[in-house]
Amino acid sequence: MKVPRSLQIWRLGIVNYSDALKLQEKLVSDRKIHKISDTLLSLQHPPTYTLGKRRTDHNLLISEAELKKLGAELHYTQRGGDITFHGPHQAILYPIISLRDIGLGARNYVEKLESTMIEIASLYGVKACPGQKGETGIWVGDRKIGAIGVRIQYGITSHGLAFNIDPDLNYFKHIVPCGIADKDVTSLRRETGNGIYEAVEKPAPHVTYSKEHQCHQVFHLF
Amino acid sequence: IKDLKYADSHEWVKVDGNSATIGITDHAQDHLGDVVYVELPEVGVTVKQDASFGAVESVKATSDVNSPVSGKVVEVNEELSSSPALVNSSPYEDGWIIKVEMDNAGELKKLMDADQYTKFCEEEDSKH
Repeated sequence: MKVPRSLQIWRLGIVNYSDALKLQEKLVSDRKIHKISDTLLSLQHPPTYTLGKRRTDHNLLISEAELKKLGAELHYTQRGGDITFHGPHQAILYPIISLRDIGLGARNYVEKLESTMIEIASLYGVKACPGQKGETGIWVGDRKIGAIGVRIQYGITSHGLAFNIDPDLNYFKHIVPCGIADKDVTSLRRETGNGIYEAVEKPAPHVTYSKEHQCHQVFHLF
Repeated sequence: IKDLKYADSHEWVKVDGNSATIGITDHAQDHLGDVVYVELPEVGVTVKQDASFGAVESVKATSDVNSPVSGKVVEVNEELSSSPALVNSSPYEDGWIIKVEMDNAGELKKLMDADQYTKFCEEEDSKH
């Protein structure tokens, strides 16, 4: 029997990585005690490099001092996945949802995140596909356009996906992105050569995400 | 598997006297995907029933692993550091994760037996 679920969407604009992390931790706790429903954060970060639980900092090619000179921050996190970069004009979605309530496992959840990004890309005429085994994420040919890194505690998700609409791709030169050498990083901008993406960053990810997860009600805050 | 007990977060426990061996179930490993990393606790730490003691990583997702019983960690499966995929290929044997000296065997009553666990999985999987 399918119980109607609701999803609250918070559109936050540009948020510091630490602030977003603290917010997610609070939301996970609240979700665990059923104080809130499933929640989706839609935001961007200022230039930020992040590492996952495995702390693969051998994939960072510059020192932290040089990284700060570039105007970026470095964060070690508990999410899965390797090193990546977040910056303005990269659409980030952090779903805080209870996988247990819907009987979904990590693998199925991540596949849904991948199909969400594939659908967003196709809205703009870009044909993307999931990676090969062990290369979770979204690719256009052998260029990576979307990345995933998730944390699951008490069956509740945090962190999520990062989709390259038009971030400054030069920042990726200072890392081995996701630990995969010899493959490029790309963006919607690079793949379509087009201009403004304000419209993409706001409605498209939410609509696609909500559809993917068959939510019955959607609330917009802010 | 009979004579194991199961938690609703999909961990199993095998009891031998006061010693409990803990791992994740076949259902869990299947839903996780290929495990590429296992975060193990240190020997000697205490664990509490239903609380997280470590994590596994698969498909770019880290998932907490919870202890079905409270007690002290007396052994961890070091093999998992070099062969995390044992969790997938042998979840009940070579893929065991920790061994705990239980401090309250009464906690086992809160766990499911094999039949209850099978039913629990069926119900969970039918939710979507």
